[in-house]
Amino acid sequence: MKKDIKISKMIRIVCLVVFSLLFLAPYFWMLSNSFKSTSEILLEPQHLLPTKFTLAGYIKVLTKSPFFRWLLNSLFITIIDTVVILFTSSIIGFVLSKYRFKLRKTMFYIILLTMMVPATAMMIPNFLLISTLGWYDKLIALIVPTFFNAFGIFLCKQYIDDLPKELFESAMLDNASDLKIYFKIVLPSIKPAIGSLAIFTFLALWNDYLTPLIMLNSAKNMTLPLALSFFSAQHMSDLSATMAAASLIMIPASAIFILFQNQFIKGITMSGMK
Amino acid sequence: MKNKKFIYSVIIPTVVFMFIFIVIPIGIGLAISFFNYNPLRDNNAFVGFENFVKLLKDKEFLVAMKNTFVFVFGTVFLNICLSLALAYFISRFKSNKVRSLFRMIFFLPCIAPVVATSVVFSRSIFPTDTGLLNMGLNALGLGSVNWLGDPNVLMISVIVYTLWVDVGYNIILFSAGMDGIPNHIYEASDLDNTSEFRKFFKITLPLLGRTFQFVLVQTLISHFQMFAQFSVLILKDGSKNSGLVLSRYIYKTAFEHKDMGYASAVSLVLFIIIMILSFIEQKKTQVDWEY
Repeated sequence: MKKDIKISKMIRIVCLVVFSLLFLAPYFWMLSNSFKSTSEILLEPQHLLPTKFTLAGYIKVLTKSPFFRWLLNSLFITIIDTVVILFTSSIIGFVLSKYRFKLRKTMFYIILLTMMVPATAMMIPNFLLISTLGWYDKLIALIVPTFFNAFGIFLCKQYIDDLPKELFESAMLDNASDLKIYFKIVLPSIKPAIGSLAIFTFLALWNDYLTPLIMLNSAKNMTLPLALSFFSAQHMSDLSATMAAASLIMIPASAIFILFQNQFIKGITMSGMK
Repeated sequence: MKNKKFIYSVIIPTVVFMFIFIVIPIGIGLAISFFNYNPLRDNNAFVGFENFVKLLKDKEFLVAMKNTFVFVFGTVFLNICLSLALAYFISRFKSNKVRSLFRMIFFLPCIAPVVATSVVFSRSIFPTDTGLLNMGLNALGLGSVNWLGDPNVLMISVIVYTLWVDVGYNIILFSAGMDGIPNHIYEASDLDNTSEFRKFFKITLPLLGRTFQFVLVQTLISHFQMFAQFSVLILKDGSKNSGLVLSRYIYKTAFEHKDMGYASAVSLVLFIIIMILSFIEQKKTQVDWEY
């Protein structure tokens, strides 16, 4: 009996280890190739590790492309949007949850409905609107339209719905202003929701490819994901530089994830979001 | 709480914004699907349902539709099987550290931009001569496969990539569901010498209930919209369009051929598919909130 359990445990562990190695292999290969020269990558048979370690790929990316400009574009868009979305989501969620006014329910349902509209189906009208506003190929085209996030409002509202009444009653007795209640009571009480929303908005914006692809055109305005596809198409034959560029883009987010993985995982489970 | 000024100063900007950036675009999208619309032209004729009639006879659209369904159902089926199995294996470890180590490994690909990992796969995992995948196959004594060049294999390659990049989310969600199952149920079955197989199908799966439905529908919805890997992995699609899916077809028609009226009609089809899935989920979650 005991033996059976041990065997099934062994099978479990072997499966997990094999799959883990398969899942990590592309990362390993990307890093390994980024430190090889392109001629070594094309050599057969291939070596798992670079025989002659070189930084040429990295140097090429950093000197022959506006990499820092791309990084700044991405940081600029992502940070502004994340901060604004956290603010709008929580304050609108607060109003929808704790105040009674006409059309409150209608508004909430419209917000829920907009959550179902797929981004892919919206790319044409969004492009036309952005062109009409004269924002085509400008960073503002990626920043302003995302200021209100239906999922964020929904998440915050659900969270604020669950806060106990007593929390607000004493503030009301003190005649605290609405904004004061928002900053002093609501915000601190929904920290977990804000945290997971922050992680997801940041990742979604940082990794987005479709919107920049449609809205941006010139190389200097690109965000990192779009820039990478542009760079790898331009340097088709230079595998070393392409892998170096991919590593530069992937490693920071992955490192942050490894450091804060518990918060990430809590966030995903809590918001149950994709 | 009833401060009118505060309510209005939050609600009015919200409504205005939603109107400009959400309601109007949806309206535009619907409207131009009835026009022969090209943004570079001054005169765009109203064509009624012509775009929709054209859909039924458009071979490329039908191929894209078929490919989308093959991709979505193939990937989602494999994704659910794989993530359930891995999440189950992980959840059976007692040590928290071991569990989070494995979850981290499988979630790592979800963190990186899809473009970045697609570039890595297209340039150094899938290539026939220098790719890691064929090196592995050759080491096992198997022959090389032309992963991205052979139209019959192309969709399999995209599915393999998508599993790698996306399975981590569901592992996390299933793990959370499984952690909610009380451990004493498993301990009782350990005493009865129940096989792992039975434990999984008789205990874990039935008790996952709502988590399973939620994960299934959310994965379907997200896979119908996947775009980046189709745009980066597929370098040359050739005449067979073997990797053409709806999202890619919309992009191609709208932005490469500038035929936006027709592309909007295709968008509407995708929109309807996703709406149906969303409503199914709403219904299910209302019925089955608890287990």
